Amino acid sequence: MIQSIDYWAIAAPLILALAAGLVLLLEAFLPARPGVRTALGCLTLAALAAAFAVVVAQRGVRETFCVPSVGCSYVVDATTVVFAGLALGAGAVVVLLSMGQLAEGDIPVGEWYFLLLAALAGAVTLPASRDLIMLVVALELVSLPVFALTALRRYDGRGAEAALKLFVVSVVSTAVMLFGISLLYGITGAVHLDAIAAALAQPERPGAGPVVAVGAVMVVAGFGFKIAAVPFHFWAADVYQGAPIPVAALLSVVSKAAGFAGLILVLTQALPGESATWTPIVAVLAALTMTVGNVLALRQTHPVRLLAWSSVAQSGYVLAPIATTDAQAATAYLVFYAAMNLTAFAVVMAVPHDTLDGYRGLVSARPVAGLALAFALICLAGLPPGLAGLFAKVVVFREVVAGGLGWLAVVMAVNTVIGLYYYIAWTARLFTPADATRRAGSGPAWIAVGVATAVAVGFSVAPQLVLATLG
Amino acid sequence: MRDYQGVDGYFGSYAVVAVLLAIGAAIFAGALLINRLLRPDRPTEAKLTTYECGVDPVGDGWAQSQVRYYVFTYLYVVFAVDAVFLFPWATVFAAPGYGMTTLVEMFVFLAFIALGIVYAWRKRVLTWT
Repeated sequence: MIQSIDYWAIAAPLILALAAGLVLLLEAFLPARPGVRTALGCLTLAALAAAFAVVVAQRGVRETFCVPSVGCSYVVDATTVVFAGLALGAGAVVVLLSMGQLAEGDIPVGEWYFLLLAALAGAVTLPASRDLIMLVVALELVSLPVFALTALRRYDGRGAEAALKLFVVSVVSTAVMLFGISLLYGITGAVHLDAIAAALAQPERPGAGPVVAVGAVMVVAGFGFKIAAVPFHFWAADVYQGAPIPVAALLSVVSKAAGFAGLILVLTQALPGESATWTPIVAVLAALTMTVGNVLALRQTHPVRLLAWSSVAQSGYVLAPIATTDAQAATAYLVFYAAMNLTAFAVVMAVPHDTLDGYRGLVSARPVAGLALAFALICLAGLPPGLAGLFAKVVVFREVVAGGLGWLAVVMAVNTVIGLYYYIAWTARLFTPADATRRAGSGPAWIAVGVATAVAVGFSVAPQLVLATLG
Repeated sequence: MRDYQGVDGYFGSYAVVAVLLAIGAAIFAGALLINRLLRPDRPTEAKLTTYECGVDPVGDGWAQSQVRYYVFTYLYVVFAVDAVFLFPWATVFAAPGYGMTTLVEMFVFLAFIALGIVYAWRKRVLTWT
């Protein structure tokens, strides 16, 4: 039997996949000149823009790859659109950041953009996946290219180490998750998320409870690795530091969003009836993740390591509303977090330094970069001028308190205060006078700073853009 | 919904594996033990050398192979995985209800794989260096 395919529904990942192949071929057949490098970057950006336009234009719910009377494997709805838009927007910023990196010429451009587009195609497919197989394939499509991207800079020991760590962690997490998925499939005999939920809702299942619980815990653990939730967080700082900065930005936003999308889909669509099992686990994970991330961030002196632990801590805030079975607040937080985190990474790429002290006096030396970084950090801390971060935190707090998890709200409040210390300490350095000479990145990185800052400011002024789309 | 035997039945089926493992270990250890108890023990230097299919052991246990073979390993893996998809496809594509669409779909897949080969060829990976 042949499934009918709704090409409009899958247009966004299709565009990305075709563009990925095209970029690879063009690099192989065109002469290796700087002009070609820029052209390939622009082609990648154009593909992202086209896919973004498709995603924005997709209204309503579209289903495809359907099996009659079982369910559909690919469904585009409002949440999917937000996740896909996030991945594509973040992808554009990452491409802009990497254009500066690629200008140095020691990285094969075609492969870089090919891998980047492949990862983004996965990130766009994943939130629309509605069966376990599609989910795993999409998640691997996000993960696999990132190993190669991390190690693509030749003769870089740190990069190779980071790639190996990421590879081992990712493979282990996939294995754990696949085992969990096989248990769920073994119990229910279904791979479609709706069908699993329906099968689990039937009462006559003597003794299935423990197996379903083990399956659910293993799936949560598998996704926990991908989103760097405690206790699966060890790889974050080393990998972020060893990877090229654009890849660190990709990992901290696109990969993380993809992991969360998968986690939310499995928990809320396939296991809504088992929420008594997984909500306490997710709540404890959330509390641990934000606390450990923040405490580890306190003592960091390397900007990328600090951002790595800060992104672990932020994962905790995203997990918190999931513990009350609310996906909307988590998605909203992710979108706000993406904008502010990308702004921080863009500035770190545009003005690279190995220590936080290197950023002393940035506001007076380079006002644009300094103010953008200050804004991003204040947003991440959740203080008033950075309203995007404040709105995000308020949304999460509201859901957590409404969900009856008072203790988690208290842990969050304490963590927000801990987070203030290192975000403010870095921000304060930006404003202290210093006479250091400045290295600065290339043009596209500055465009990335501008774009990311504009989006973060936009979200601060009009947070309803995100909140209304999610409904 | 499948025929469901409950957790005890499910994990119980693993008990067979565990028992088989124990029997295997017992036979292996027992054979060595009985051998040791029954045989005369008069070691010479020649008898103590590692026995390797009748060939004298030469050199290290650490053997290196040419790094340039890795390309062929990669290509082999690509085509081996390819074949995994091709075999089940070959059994159904002529069946009623499939036909041309199924045939074309597989060639779309193969075209994506071929993209990698073209890239490798253009990057001079396939030439023997």
